[in-house]
Amino acid sequence: MNPMNVSHPYDLIIIGAGPGGCAAAVYAGRKQLKTLVITESFGGQSIVSNSIENWIGEKTISGVELAKKLEAHVRAQETVTVKTGEKVIVVREVGDMCISTLDWKKLSSVAASANAACEYEVTTDKGGVFRAKALLVASGGRRRRLDVLGEAQFDGKGVSYCSTCDAPLFRGKDVAVVGGGNAGLEACVDLFPYAKKIYLLNIGDKLGGDPITQKQVFDSSRVTVIHHAQTMEIFGETLVTGLKYQDTVSGVEKKLAAQGVFVEIGSIPNSEFVKDLVQMNKYNEIIVDHKTLATSRPGIFAAGDVTDEIYKQNNTSVGDAVSATLSAYNYLLNISKQTPAAQETV
Amino acid sequence: MANVTIYTTPTCAYCKMTKSFFKEHNVTYKEIDVASDAKAAEVMIQKSGQMGVPVTVVEKEGKAELIVGFDQDKLSTALGIS
Repeated sequence: MNPMNVSHPYDLIIIGAGPGGCAAAVYAGRKQLKTLVITESFGGQSIVSNSIENWIGEKTISGVELAKKLEAHVRAQETVTVKTGEKVIVVREVGDMCISTLDWKKLSSVAASANAACEYEVTTDKGGVFRAKALLVASGGRRRRLDVLGEAQFDGKGVSYCSTCDAPLFRGKDVAVVGGGNAGLEACVDLFPYAKKIYLLNIGDKLGGDPITQKQVFDSSRVTVIHHAQTMEIFGETLVTGLKYQDTVSGVEKKLAAQGVFVEIGSIPNSEFVKDLVQMNKYNEIIVDHKTLATSRPGIFAAGDVTDEIYKQNNTSVGDAVSATLSAYNYLLNISKQTPAAQETV
Repeated sequence: MANVTIYTTPTCAYCKMTKSFFKEHNVTYKEIDVASDAKAAEVMIQKSGQMGVPVTVVEKEGKAELIVGFDQDKLSTALGIS
């Protein structure tokens, strides 16, 4: 049987085209699933990276180059249609026999969750409405903001979320990097050739990130690491002149003079559009079964940074998305076994 | 014909995306690398009132429009690309 031999518009809609969404599209293409990819753009969050050193098969590749390669691979799939420049705003289920939740522990396989009566309808910000029998959410994450006074006012006026882009504009200036994880450390490295002095504000008592990057930061005489620092306010006139932080141990508020503030405090999942459909954890990450990548809703699968996956890497997103696609394929096979129309074509 | 100037840094992905968008639509442009030209960086900051790249300036019929970032919709409108 072939899941394409049904009257529904799409077998599978993939939301997002970072490494995960693209891997899903390639596998969906190879399984001949009638697939729609809806994405704002290709490449995912590492598009801003000037050099990615851990993408398997490439010693080094820029985010833009990686995005181009991923896009070309997706567009080579005959059964896959691509819609770019559109953002999914809501997903709702269509059909009166939808099962609202499932218990993975009680299922022998993902196919056992199949529910032929249910379809999903995806609406985009450009007014597009699309339907599919299965959904793969690979919408990734976006940069977390500090949510402090002055952050929005000085966005682009000294506050930056892209050290790779904007570091050269801070030549000879004193800057603050907020965030002691890997992204914060890498922002420091981006700033080394330009900034005069770098304050690295870390909320905890030790830095995260890769040992290699940590060493680069520790070895630099220009970086001052400030632990237990909770950023309270960014201030300035036309442009940023400094920030205020609180020492979380002593409770004392302190001020720093800086012309740049680089915010590198992690990401938040792009999961709003399925918030009423699938179970999420307290961080709004979609909870998935890590064997099948199924969500709590039959027919909806998820992979990558939008899920409760721990490591949030390009490469892990790809692996998860492949598993999710194969699970979706099994789910679709099982649905078509259940429907009379499909039985005729077997 | 519009006169297009783009302020960039060599490592900025959105600058590269903006430039390939120009090439795709046969838009000729002048590029100014603000990483190697501190004076140009000052000019860009003054003109745009901000410090992010890319900044695209589209001059047409004596009017100048300034677009910050890779904003495909705004760039298309300013350049008359449908």
